[in-house]
Amino acid sequence: MLLFSMAYGSLALKIPLSFMAQNEFFTSRTMPYALAVLGMIIALLILVMPTADPAGKRSLKEETRGMDWKTAILLVVGMIGYGMLMKWLGFIISSILFLLCGFYILGERRIKRMLLASIPLVILLWFVMSSLLGVYIAPGELFYTLGVL
Amino acid sequence: MWDGMINGMLTGISTTMIPMNIGMVLFGCFMGSLIGMLPGLGPITAVALMIPVTYGLEPSTGMVLLAGVYYGAIFGGSTSSILINAPGEAATVATALDGYPLARQGYPGKALAIAAYASFSGGTISVIMLMFFAPMLASVATSFQSADYFALMILGLTAVSAFAGRGGVLKALLMVVLGLMLATVGTDQTSGVQRFTFGSLELLDGIEFLLLAMATFALTEALSIVLKRDESSDSLKPKMIGFKSLKVTKKEFKQIAPTIGRSSLLGFIIGVLPGAGATLGSFMAYGMERNIAKPEDRENFGKGSLIGLAAPEAGNNAASSGSFVPLLCLGIPGSGTTAVMLGALIAYGIEPGPRMFTESPEVFWGVIMSMYLGNIFLLILNLPLIPYFARLLAIPRNLMVPMILFFSLMGVYLVTFNDFDILMMVLFCVAAMALRLMNFPMAPLLLGFILGGLMEDNLRRALLIYDESISFMWERPLTLGINLATLFILFFPMLRSFIASRRNNTNKTLSAS
Repeated sequence: MLLFSMAYGSLALKIPLSFMAQNEFFTSRTMPYALAVLGMIIALLILVMPTADPAGKRSLKEETRGMDWKTAILLVVGMIGYGMLMKWLGFIISSILFLLCGFYILGERRIKRMLLASIPLVILLWFVMSSLLGVYIAPGELFYTLGVL
Repeated sequence: MWDGMINGMLTGISTTMIPMNIGMVLFGCFMGSLIGMLPGLGPITAVALMIPVTYGLEPSTGMVLLAGVYYGAIFGGSTSSILINAPGEAATVATALDGYPLARQGYPGKALAIAAYASFSGGTISVIMLMFFAPMLASVATSFQSADYFALMILGLTAVSAFAGRGGVLKALLMVVLGLMLATVGTDQTSGVQRFTFGSLELLDGIEFLLLAMATFALTEALSIVLKRDESSDSLKPKMIGFKSLKVTKKEFKQIAPTIGRSSLLGFIIGVLPGAGATLGSFMAYGMERNIAKPEDRENFGKGSLIGLAAPEAGNNAASSGSFVPLLCLGIPGSGTTAVMLGALIAYGIEPGPRMFTESPEVFWGVIMSMYLGNIFLLILNLPLIPYFARLLAIPRNLMVPMILFFSLMGVYLVTFNDFDILMMVLFCVAAMALRLMNFPMAPLLLGFILGGLMEDNLRRALLIYDESISFMWERPLTLGINLATLFILFFPMLRSFIASRRNNTNKTLSAS
C-alpha cells in the first residue's frame, strides 16, 4: 500500500492542468496529492507501529496456510475467460460455458446435474431480460463473422 | 412539525401500498433471506447482487426493494448461524453463540422461531423510532453548509475505521484512503480534466460503484469459501424442521420480552452512530443482557440461552433500521450495506442528504413505511418457510460458488454491457482478496469510494466560500463540533487502551506492595 500510494502520488503529478487552473488554490491535483500523502503516512504507521495482537504480526505465509489456491486461481482464470469470450460467443453460450467450467473446477462430475444447473438458469435469465424487460443483449460477434446472423 | 410528519407518513403509506411496491417488499424480503442464508454471504453482497434488478424501477420502488433485501439478509444470516454455525457475516456471529447450541440440543425450530420474533420486534420498535427521529434530524440538517458536510463525511469515514476493532483502525483508515483514491479515477466533474484514466475510454466516467461493490464483496466472498475450504454447507444433513417445533411457550415469551425491548432500544441507538452498524448492535445487546442477567441465567449464556439468542437478534435488526437515519437524513452511510444503498440512490439520480426529505419525500417516507410492512412480511414469510429454507442450506458449494460468481459478473455486465468491466471486476477481486488475506476490511473502502466525489465537491465549495482558507474547520461552530466528535472517535480507542494499561499498572503495583 505504501508503494501504491507513492505510485498514485507520482501519477497525480502528471494530471494536466489548464493555464487558468495553475493559479487556483484547489485544482484537480489537490485531492490526489492529499490522499497520496495520507496513504503514505498511514501505510508507514502500519509498518512501524507494534501490533495489538499478542501473537505478533503474522506473516502472509502463516495467514494463508492450508488454503486451496489451485481451485481459486482456476476460478479466476475462468472469470477472465468469461470476460474475454462474452464479446465473441455472446451471453448465452459464454455463460453456460463459464458455469460448466466452474462446476467442474469445484469437483462436480455429474454431467446431467451440471447441465441442469446451468442451461435452464441462463436461458431463463436471458428470456427475462430480453423478452420480459426488453433489454437488448447483443449476440456474439462470432455469429456475424461466420455469417450465421 | 407534527403536520409535516403526518403528511409524510401518508405519502409513505400511499407509496408503499402501490401493488408494485408491496410486491417488491415481499420479493426483497424473500431474496434477502435467501441470499443472506447462504453461508459466507452477508447483507452487503445481497444488496449489491440485487441492485441490477432495481435499475429499471422507480427510485422509491428500488429503495423499498433494497431495504427489504437488507433486513431480509440480516434475518437470513441468523438462520445459517443457528442451523450450521456458519454466520453469513459478523452481525450474526453473536446469534450463533446461543442459537447453535440450542439447535444442537434438539430445538432448531424453537431457536429459529425466537430469532424470527426477536427480529420482528427489534425491527418494528426501531422503525417507530426511525419515524420520529429521522424527520427531526433531517429538518435540522437542512441548515448544513458544504463545510459541515465535509466535516460530517470525515466523521462518517473515521467512525467506520474507529469501530474496526483492536489493531484494525489504521488498516481501516488506509482502506478509506484507498476508496477515496479510486473515487478520483475518471473525469473531474468541475474542471473536466481526466485523472488516472491511462488513456482508456472505459475509465472516462470513473469506476462503476456496482462493479467495485460486487468485486470487493460478492466475488471475494465466493472465492473465500473456496480458498478457506469452507464446507459447512456440504456437511449439513437438513432434517425436516416441523411446524410444531416452531412453537414458543407463553413462559418463554415472557422471559424474552424485556430483553427484546432493551436490545431494540440499544440496537437503534448504536445503528444511528455512523460506522457502528448491526455487528456492534448485536454484540453490545448480547453483552448488556449477559451483564444484567440473574446469576442462574448468566450461566446459560453460550449454552443455548433463550435470552442470549433473542438479544443479538433484536439488537442487529434494530441497528440495521437505525443505520437508515444517517443515510436518509444526512446522506452519510452508517455501514457498508447502507454505503451500497447510497451508491444506488446516487445511481437513481437522487441527491442524498437532508434535501431528500423535502425533494423526494416519496423515497424518504416510502422506505420508512415499507419497513413496517417488510417486518410483517419477514415474520409471516419466514416462519412457515423456515423448514424449506433450511433445505437450501444444503446446496453443495460446488454448485453454489460458480452461481454466485456468475450472478455477480452478470449483474454488472447486464447494466453496463461492457466486457471490459468483467475483466476490471476480476482485477479488483484479486486485489481485494489479497487485501482481505492481510486483514484489511473492505467496507471502509467502499464507503470512501462512494463519499469520495461528494467530499471533494464539498471541500472545493467550502474553500471557495471561505476565500480559500481552511479556517471553516474551526470558525463555524457546527463544523467545529463535528470535528471535535471526529477527534474524540479517532482517539477514543487510544485513550481507552491508555487508561486500561494505567489501571493494570496500578493493580500490579498494589498487588506487589
